[in-house]
Amino acid sequence: MYISLDWLSDFTKLPKLTAQEIGEKITLHTAEVEGVEDLESKYANMVIGRIVELKKHPDADRLNLTMVDIGESKPVQIVCGGQNLQVDMLVPIGLPGAKVDVHGSGDIFELAKVKIRGAESHGMICAGEEIWMEPDNEPNSKKDVKIKDLSHLNEKPGTPLAKALGKSGSIIDIDNKSLTHRPDLWNHYGFARECSTIFKQELKPYEPKAAKPDSTEAKPKATIKDDKVCPQFSMAIMTGIEIAESPQWMKSRLEAAGMNPHNNIVDITNYVMLELGQPMHAYDRKVVGSDELIIRTAKDGEILVTLDESEYKLNKEDPIVCDKKNEPLGIAGIKGGLKSGITDETTEIIVEAANWDPIIVRKCSTRIGLRTDASQRFEKGLDPSMTETAVNRAIELIKELSPNAKLISKVETFGKWKPGKKTIKVSPEKICKKIGVEISEKEMTRILKSLEFGVKKSGKQLEVDVPSHRATGDVDIPDDIVEEIARIHGYDQVPALVPSFPINLPVKNEERFHKHDARRILAHNLGFTEDFNYSFYGEDRLEACGLDETKHLKILNYLSEDQTHMRTSMTPNLLASIAKNAREFEHIKLFEIGRTYEENGAYMPDEKKVLAAAISSKSKDEIFYEIKGALEAFLQNFQTGNYKLVPSKDAPSYAHPKKCMTILSRGKQIGHVFAVHPGVLKHFDIAHQVGMFELHFNALVEHGRNTVKFEEPSKFPAMNLDVSVLMEEEKTVAAIESAIRKTDKEKSIQNIELFDIYRGKEIPENQKAMAFTIQLRHKDRTLTDKEFQETQEAIFLALEKLGGKIRGRN
Amino acid sequence: MDDKLKKLESAALKALKEASSPDELKNLEKKFLGKSGEITGILKGLASLSIEEKKSIGKAANDLKKTLAAKFKNCCNKIEMEHLNKTLESDEIDLSAPGRKHHIGHIHPIAQTQEEVERIFGQMGFTVIDGPEVESEYYNFEGLNIPAHHPARDMQDTFFIDKAADKKEGRLVLRTHTSPNQVRTMEKYGAPLRIIVPGRTFRNEATDASHEHTFDQVEGLMIDENISISHLKGVMQEFLSRLFDKEMKVRFRPGYFPFVEPGIELDMSCIFCESKGCKVCKKTGWIEFMGCGMVHPNVLKAGGIDSEKYQGWAFGFGLTRLVMMRYGINDIRHLTGGDLRILNQF
Repeated sequence: MYISLDWLSDFTKLPKLTAQEIGEKITLHTAEVEGVEDLESKYANMVIGRIVELKKHPDADRLNLTMVDIGESKPVQIVCGGQNLQVDMLVPIGLPGAKVDVHGSGDIFELAKVKIRGAESHGMICAGEEIWMEPDNEPNSKKDVKIKDLSHLNEKPGTPLAKALGKSGSIIDIDNKSLTHRPDLWNHYGFARECSTIFKQELKPYEPKAAKPDSTEAKPKATIKDDKVCPQFSMAIMTGIEIAESPQWMKSRLEAAGMNPHNNIVDITNYVMLELGQPMHAYDRKVVGSDELIIRTAKDGEILVTLDESEYKLNKEDPIVCDKKNEPLGIAGIKGGLKSGITDETTEIIVEAANWDPIIVRKCSTRIGLRTDASQRFEKGLDPSMTETAVNRAIELIKELSPNAKLISKVETFGKWKPGKKTIKVSPEKICKKIGVEISEKEMTRILKSLEFGVKKSGKQLEVDVPSHRATGDVDIPDDIVEEIARIHGYDQVPALVPSFPINLPVKNEERFHKHDARRILAHNLGFTEDFNYSFYGEDRLEACGLDETKHLKILNYLSEDQTHMRTSMTPNLLASIAKNAREFEHIKLFEIGRTYEENGAYMPDEKKVLAAAISSKSKDEIFYEIKGALEAFLQNFQTGNYKLVPSKDAPSYAHPKKCMTILSRGKQIGHVFAVHPGVLKHFDIAHQVGMFELHFNALVEHGRNTVKFEEPSKFPAMNLDVSVLMEEEKTVAAIESAIRKTDKEKSIQNIELFDIYRGKEIPENQKAMAFTIQLRHKDRTLTDKEFQETQEAIFLALEKLGGKIRGRN
Repeated sequence: MDDKLKKLESAALKALKEASSPDELKNLEKKFLGKSGEITGILKGLASLSIEEKKSIGKAANDLKKTLAAKFKNCCNKIEMEHLNKTLESDEIDLSAPGRKHHIGHIHPIAQTQEEVERIFGQMGFTVIDGPEVESEYYNFEGLNIPAHHPARDMQDTFFIDKAADKKEGRLVLRTHTSPNQVRTMEKYGAPLRIIVPGRTFRNEATDASHEHTFDQVEGLMIDENISISHLKGVMQEFLSRLFDKEMKVRFRPGYFPFVEPGIELDMSCIFCESKGCKVCKKTGWIEFMGCGMVHPNVLKAGGIDSEKYQGWAFGFGLTRLVMMRYGINDIRHLTGGDLRILNQF
């Protein structure tokens, strides 16, 4: 919202500060100022110029040399790249000293007299975007630029640009969001009240002369069918209206506040809204046909065409104002209807200012998608006591701008609302305790009174009467009074204190530590990079992975088709990440720690923390073993207690059915490690194998982490025994290892490591050659050659018994 | 005989000093210490001597043999090293060639910063808490003093889950902020409280360079009998100073959030221009950092805490925004894009 400082000065004295400084004070004490426009200084050193001569720059293809009349005795030379220059064109000139927004980039640059490719330039000819007007070029374009043609202004060369454009005074732009809770600030008078308090100045009362009727021949009447919809409705009837353009002062103020002028009557209703904050409406009395208005909610399907000629279909909750025949005239609190609007032919009017229920207006405005200056104000909850004041102020202005106008009725007010009294008791001690700074009672009283609160001492407490303009929900409880004191006294007065620390320690959150640990292990020890994906995916990915749609939570108001379902698995989005990176990287290792969400029939779904990791590799080596190794290294590094990997009976739908193992912790399933199903990979357009594991992180942490158990290293040397054995395909490594272990009566086998599996040339079909290194070491002595021989013999026999053929042995 | 040994010693040492190649040395070793070398010769000659002489000369000759052997060894090492050094001169490699790549992984910048935030608040005695991301309307709104049709609901465009509403808790939503955990934690632990809640939040808004429907926030809550606005200033100033590793200032100004009263906007001193004024801080020297304020009595009430006895503050800042600011990331979508060229930089 735009606030004109000039307008504020009607009601309070502003200190001798720059607009910028006033803006800063308002930011610190009342509401966020997004920008300050001091128009005169902004457009300083800018004038209208007329091009009198135009030729090419001798040393630059794209530049022109112009001679420009800037109202001085002689034209000046300016170098300009504008491609639309013409002799006699009126253009905006930035003279040396002018500050312009170069190429509309936001960088402000102060112009000086310079030489451009050897030619002197006395300032510059500006494009629209460089002087905060309608842009002439794309942002930051530097080629084939155009400059602003102001020929239509018909001004003399040398006229200050601010004057030519009607820019004067300073305007403060308030962030509307910071006024959500302040219905009293959607106008100039409200800000004048704040400024008077901040700057400790008097505030002029807002008291338009009570309008004296010229006659009372008209009897205005409002029939309110629903008191909740309309607590207050004020109206009056005027005749002898002459529709005309508003005077310049009024037009300038409306424009400063960002509104377009229309005609004197419409402008006055807008002016009162901007000044007092009470939206108003004027009806053409002859079109309405009587002085009685009916306020009701619409019938389902009732149609109304608004002033801007848009058609709205209403429903039974929407508030409307109707004529005596019950025909709708306007959507209450939002927009007037086209039929009864003010036209050039209007001579008699019904002036209206009403108070509407904020929630009803808000719902209607949201539903029909029409937000207006009026609805924006009503939905905050306006002060019902303003309606009559507003009508009186409008009548005052109408008589001024249309001197032959006659008021032919009293100003009548209808509605059930009655002024009430809201008193809040608050102790000054408590106020100081909440803010954390000592503030005197005197200062508190000054602040509150200046904001038009009533203040009375009652024992140790202050009895604060809330003024009607703050009583519509904004100020209700003692804490609201704390805010008034704190913000006006100034948050800069509050010291920065670190609270004393309690002796008792905070509640531990182990899971967090574990989570960060897991990240470090995966990233820094195992080389995985962490990915953050969205928590949702679309049906396409869901189906590609064969997930059960019914277990998903669906988003009602999703943003796009690929973000419709909350993920029940991390896999789909991780696979998408792999696919995305496959063009740049041959070997990809990603992990993600995030949540999955699963429908479980109850109100709150199952939310699990899941750790998922994926490896995609160009290599033809079986990926399952690589991811299995990564999982084992992770679990070992994470010091996971006894866990078990067993072949999965029911592999997830996106896993290769034969390359999937279940991770068991104390008999409970906590995850899977698997090669991704080739069909799924195909869908994601991934050409390489992908191995993944998914771990239920909460369960993993619950499972517990081991502490290291130290073991004294043996003093005796180890001996390595290499065995290569030919086996049937179906014999597993686990079976062979187990057979070898069984021979170990002396407990001398330290380690069994498979170092090669070979198939192909020289190996019979359906067989494989497996090579193991077995490390032997006795804990109490050095093994003798004889013992070594015996162990080897025992192992060979065991393997042969298993159906193997020891290679290199007859 | 003694004389002979001495002469032998000096001759050997002289020859050693002059020796310059391993071959030369080998010959000398053979000459003096070899099987038919000079010392061996002397030792062989002992047979013709008296027992006394045998003893003394034998010892002296053996000692000399040991001494010379050690000297020869030293000299041999030295000469070998010199010789090796000479050959190394020609063993040059291209030092500018890259080292062999060792692949390491990377932790997401949001996770890194989150851990740092947790560590700093942890040092100040805060507990890290988390709560559900799929949340009820009650905890996300009503419990926080944001009733239905409150304009503040507009400020937080909400994702709804397609599921029947609960009579008490309302519809299911994706939490629009981490604030639902204020009431959840109050209900669970009561007062006093000192917590932060980092986590993922969602807003139903179209994405562009500065808007994302999925982002991370950090909620903070501190409640005790005497916790005031001045403590909020102190804690945040300390937190930011530790995070940015330099002295930071904060500025408060009025703001509006239904779950706090007074409501405050916190600005921090601009980290890009040392508060001198730049493009980022729009020449103000301040950067908008977060919303905060004193917990509204209605929220304390919803959490079952006696608002007459206890008071405190709450804050919420955008972790994602903080990460963008820290690393100069200009497009928020980079952080959920899964692009390794980006992730590998952290």
